[in-house]
Amino acid sequence: MADQRVFITGMGIISAMGNGVAETLQALQQAATGIRALTLFPCPVETLLPVGEVRGLATGDDGVPRTHQLASVAAREALGDAKHVPDMVIMGVTTGGMLATENYMKEGHRQPRFSYYHAAGSVADLVAQECGCRGPVLTVSTACSSGAVGIKLALEILRRGAVRRVLVGGADSLCRLTYYGFNSLQIVDRSGARPMDRDRHGMSVAEGAAMLLLTAADHPPAGALAEILGGGLTCDAHHPAAPHPEGRGAQEAMTAALEDAGLTPGAVDYINLHGTGTVENDLAEGFALKKVFENRLPPVSSVKGSFGHSLAAAGVIEAVVAALCIREGFMPANVGWRHQDEAIGFSPLVAPLHQPVQTVLSNSFGFGGNNAALVFAHPGFREAVKARPSARTLRVRAYACITGAGGTSATLARFFRGASCQGTLAADRLTDGLPPHAVRRMKRLARMALGLSTRVVSRAGRADPVSDVYFGTAWGALSETHDFLEKLYASNEFYTSPIDFVGSVHNAPAGQVAMRARARGANVAMTGGDASFEQALTAADYLAANGRHPVLVGGADEMHPVFSALFDPSVPMGDTPADGGGMLFLETAGDASPLTLRPGYFAPGGDVSESLQAALAYHGGPRTFNDRIGAVMVGIPAACREDCAPHLDDFWGRLGFKGPLIDYRRYFGEFASASAVAAVAAMALLERGAIPGALAGGEEWPLAGRGILLLGLGATITTMLAASS
Amino acid sequence: MDNFIEELKVQIIDTLALEDITPEDIDPEAQLVGGDLGIDSIDVLELVMMVEKIYGVVIDSKELGAQVFTSLGALGAYIQQTRNAGGAIG
Repeated sequence: MADQRVFITGMGIISAMGNGVAETLQALQQAATGIRALTLFPCPVETLLPVGEVRGLATGDDGVPRTHQLASVAAREALGDAKHVPDMVIMGVTTGGMLATENYMKEGHRQPRFSYYHAAGSVADLVAQECGCRGPVLTVSTACSSGAVGIKLALEILRRGAVRRVLVGGADSLCRLTYYGFNSLQIVDRSGARPMDRDRHGMSVAEGAAMLLLTAADHPPAGALAEILGGGLTCDAHHPAAPHPEGRGAQEAMTAALEDAGLTPGAVDYINLHGTGTVENDLAEGFALKKVFENRLPPVSSVKGSFGHSLAAAGVIEAVVAALCIREGFMPANVGWRHQDEAIGFSPLVAPLHQPVQTVLSNSFGFGGNNAALVFAHPGFREAVKARPSARTLRVRAYACITGAGGTSATLARFFRGASCQGTLAADRLTDGLPPHAVRRMKRLARMALGLSTRVVSRAGRADPVSDVYFGTAWGALSETHDFLEKLYASNEFYTSPIDFVGSVHNAPAGQVAMRARARGANVAMTGGDASFEQALTAADYLAANGRHPVLVGGADEMHPVFSALFDPSVPMGDTPADGGGMLFLETAGDASPLTLRPGYFAPGGDVSESLQAALAYHGGPRTFNDRIGAVMVGIPAACREDCAPHLDDFWGRLGFKGPLIDYRRYFGEFASASAVAAVAAMALLERGAIPGALAGGEEWPLAGRGILLLGLGATITTMLAASS
Repeated sequence: MDNFIEELKVQIIDTLALEDITPEDIDPEAQLVGGDLGIDSIDVLELVMMVEKIYGVVIDSKELGAQVFTSLGALGAYIQQTRNAGGAIG
């Protein structure tokens, strides 16, 4: 079956350039800038830095953080009077409720008041709730490329016909972490961002949100604003914060996007640059552009001298800009630019250029060398979609985990005996075999991710480099975030740690994995509470199946002495503080192992009985379920146990399921990515061919060729099917 | 000056968690960034914070940083020179 085409059928935006599409268009056509001195929060430092701040956003007293409010405003505009509820919500977010958490910490509180809204994933949850979406809710958190990566993920999901409508967006509010953090890297221009200019001195940190309603169809639907032709994701695998000096990954992302779109470089009418205004980024992007376009560069501009750099929102804000260029027949000015940089060797648009635009290439790059490029076109530009090879199943060649019990062998040995693996492994054992200098800048989560990747790559025994990395984490690098803020407040907001700032982004651990494994394909960090690993597996299922391999899919969360119990209500209810994670090495090669792990049902919780019925229906109903599933591993977060347990007992009773039910958090502990450890354990159980008596409640239980279902309960109901064919 | 250099060595090892490096391993005249110690651009920024916080000497641009951090000896000389000139805020 030919892929579906994907159209933008609605959009919403709020930024320093205005509230709504109409205001934004007007500001762009006037070559305005929204960059002004910060007013959002008080700073003891005398000179306020220029930022892209949203003006006039009413601050609610209902505790809903600013990022969430911005996303809500943009989502309402994007959906407009659309009659259909989106089937899925995908957001790119990095800061989430950080500003609220900072305010709270500043006041010296330690009570878990902001537990829910701190999470980057909670923005998408709120948007989904407000628009009545009952389907999957996913959050990409790859720093400054988050929004663009989210659009690429939505594109692949829609192309495959999995769903019809996706609401995809990006949102980030200004907060101290990014305001002081980027300044500590000495990449903030005190005169405001001047992208591509000879005298540029850095970026302007900004905030905003933009949302797109994407619709899959064979032909342009009524009201289609633009078509998304393709996207490319790569990783520099070079440095945690600085781009590859020759723009290697950026060049590869643009080339991949054009190939995915079926366009030659000569068919691009306009390029919307990442163009942050930092010396290194703009130079690297310039080199990459010259390699891809040689001497036929179309008009280019960066809008970050107008909007500032709104981080996770930027990729979607610039997708709105691309759609406006196509709809209105104009290209925006590169505000702030005055002098050509000879090292870059070309000039961007100095004023808006009014002429028809059929195709736009839009770049977004981020920390961790995380690159995304997207191609947009006029809805009438293309006649039909080109056929692509059908998706191939990813097979599990190797697996590894870390728990309080130790590494993979130690954990599985204890688990098979029915003994607890709960605990926190000593920091120096997380990255067994790596010298101290290789991990000196990494705190707990990055060490876990790196330790998992070196273990799984070694177990796979493959010499060729990994392509993609997919990593799920509910709370991200809590140690770095905590230490950054503590140091900031301890010095009355004078001193921070640049190393902690760079390490604080959710995709920092995956970036470290990429550098070590030389993984230059897609590098995607996903976040969403207890289903974060399931999200990473879902992203891999859509983004890797048509692409290169091998790929790593993992998930981990760290136990932080202050933050974990503050944010995750299940953590303080655990028997003992616990953390860990798991990682799989997957490939599509013909001689790969028989093991597979596929994402299954995914929906917001709510009524537990109804959700369980829906998950059962997804897996073919009672008879198919009992025929195909030999055992169930269920993850019940402690905070949901009381609510879930009775429904679950009733459900199994009525289903007549006779196999073992393994309540895996009782063995691995209370941490959000416990399901990643469970997935690894499921692989080992499949290889063993039977569930040990200690886990089966008596006699050893043969799987007899049947699979293992991993059921996740709580705020999201998920299934993953582990099978051996 | 020698004592000050020795003090700086300890501060650098602490700030950058150089667990497997001892003060004797740091040659005051050797290249500090991109040399044997494995110090890169982010480490330099972390050291900028340390120098400002402990010695009150501000290094607020990448260009200045590139000069000051050529070697440990150069860093020590810059800090002392700036403090003696009364240019420090601390």
